[in-house]
Amino acid sequence: MRIVLAPRDFVRVIAGSAWVICGAASGAGLDESMFSFGGFGTLGMVHSSEHEADFTTTSFKPNGAGYTRDWSADVDSLVAAQVTARFTPQLSAILQVMAQQNENNTYWPHVEWADVKYQLTPELDIRVGRTAVPTFLITEARNIGYSNPWVRAPVDLYGLNPITNIDGVDLSYRTPFGNGIQTLTASYGYRNQNAPMFGLLKVHDNWIITDTAEFGAATLHIAYQKAILVVPHLDPLFDAFREFGPQGVALADRYGVTNKPATFFGVGGMYDPGGWFLTAEWGTSDLHSALGRSSGGYVSGGYRLGKFTPYLTYGKSTADNLSDPGLSVSGLPPALAGEATALNGALNSILSTKRVQSTVSAGLRWDFLKNADLKMQVDHTRIGAGSSDELINLQPGYRPGGIVNLISIVVDFLF
Amino acid sequence: MLRANRNGLPLIGMTVSLILGVAEANVVTVVSAKSPITALSKTQVADIFLGKSNRYPDGAQAMPIDQPEASIDRGKFYITMTGKSPEQLRAYWAKVLFTGRGQPPPIASSSAELKKLLLTNPLAIGYLDATQVDDSVRVLEVR
Repeated sequence: MRIVLAPRDFVRVIAGSAWVICGAASGAGLDESMFSFGGFGTLGMVHSSEHEADFTTTSFKPNGAGYTRDWSADVDSLVAAQVTARFTPQLSAILQVMAQQNENNTYWPHVEWADVKYQLTPELDIRVGRTAVPTFLITEARNIGYSNPWVRAPVDLYGLNPITNIDGVDLSYRTPFGNGIQTLTASYGYRNQNAPMFGLLKVHDNWIITDTAEFGAATLHIAYQKAILVVPHLDPLFDAFREFGPQGVALADRYGVTNKPATFFGVGGMYDPGGWFLTAEWGTSDLHSALGRSSGGYVSGGYRLGKFTPYLTYGKSTADNLSDPGLSVSGLPPALAGEATALNGALNSILSTKRVQSTVSAGLRWDFLKNADLKMQVDHTRIGAGSSDELINLQPGYRPGGIVNLISIVVDFLF
Repeated sequence: MLRANRNGLPLIGMTVSLILGVAEANVVTVVSAKSPITALSKTQVADIFLGKSNRYPDGAQAMPIDQPEASIDRGKFYITMTGKSPEQLRAYWAKVLFTGRGQPPPIASSSAELKKLLLTNPLAIGYLDATQVDDSVRVLEVR
């Protein structure tokens, strides 16, 4: 049994949050007319039925629930503090610092957002700095547990793009549209981020165009994203393929990751008249490499009974090309055959990281305090044969495919 | 069948106007007596108070003013206009604030202060208990 005491996880989370709060507060000054301060967070525990691998939410986390921890606080816990400064009615700035499990297993805080915003006209604003990537319907708010109905944004879709911010510039234009309001945004920037499996991921020339239309209780969102991905850590693998003649070059051209364009297209909608909500989203991405083409979506609904909101979600992800025969080994001298087999194995381990699964989730939100909610959620995930993306840290005893059940209990809070 | 329907329709109409009448008798949407605005749709009022729109239909800039969070008028106003409970409003504003997309309306400390603000600001819009209405404000027709 690998039961690691939960309190240690919480100590790490709380130590991280103390740093955030002190750091942000000391920088805020106390001029209330210009600066405002606030924050949000989630403390959560997750248990997974799969003990030979870890469940976690993004490829930027090194471990999670299942193998490393019986109950993991690292999957959903985070805390963030924000200072907003309003210098003039047109000019404002925000700094949001967040502590959550990093790729190196620490809770050292990072700057999630830091930007200066100028309101050019009442309809048009420009932001420069580190801003949110509005890829999905709730991407900007995906870390704010209190603002969302679920324990976490459905991973079947949100797992397609784990990057939450870029350094660059964005424009937002909001106008009346029929009986509603339409917001057009365009962002351009870059982002470098470390992932445990792939090392440094560099995303540059990242363009995102979104349109959000709101008609009373209804919201529709459409997004298109295009970027260039560079993963230096994977380059030696594909350079090695190129040593194997035309067949190796063809495989390297097809599956090489660096300098390939990554595109994403997504649509989503939500209807929330107050007493209940229904939301659905779908998106598809193509990385033109071993990281491949994947799609995901979900449908979710909930009903509000006073302080209680039960909800139900169905999510599904698909991907093509989870394996490849790779280099043909027959006819190669034994030494080269061994290397070719190793390269084929490495290629196939990357191909299999794509997400193929379907998930049924049921949960309950209870608004038990003025600025806090408690959520309980059960997820039943059926993983497709040959896919592992739901899980990391695969152990020798892990058998691909199959069922993973999760139990999650979280408290979301505002301060 | 037909006869039953003919008799049923006015009854439904009466019920609807009764329900609306009760809601309007409690909390009313108000602007300065000097404002040119006389009527807005429920969605327009909701959009202005949720920070989704910063203009009136005529293009003038809208300045919403809230009542204190503990005020009963505030709870009634938002559930009528937006369908949102206080918890849902907090969740909504947390999302807007922590994504840097805006901030909630300024808060008047009382109905008296709200009326004072409306008096000096023709662009302001607020809500009041119907019994607090006087010559300084105009009650909007909300459709």
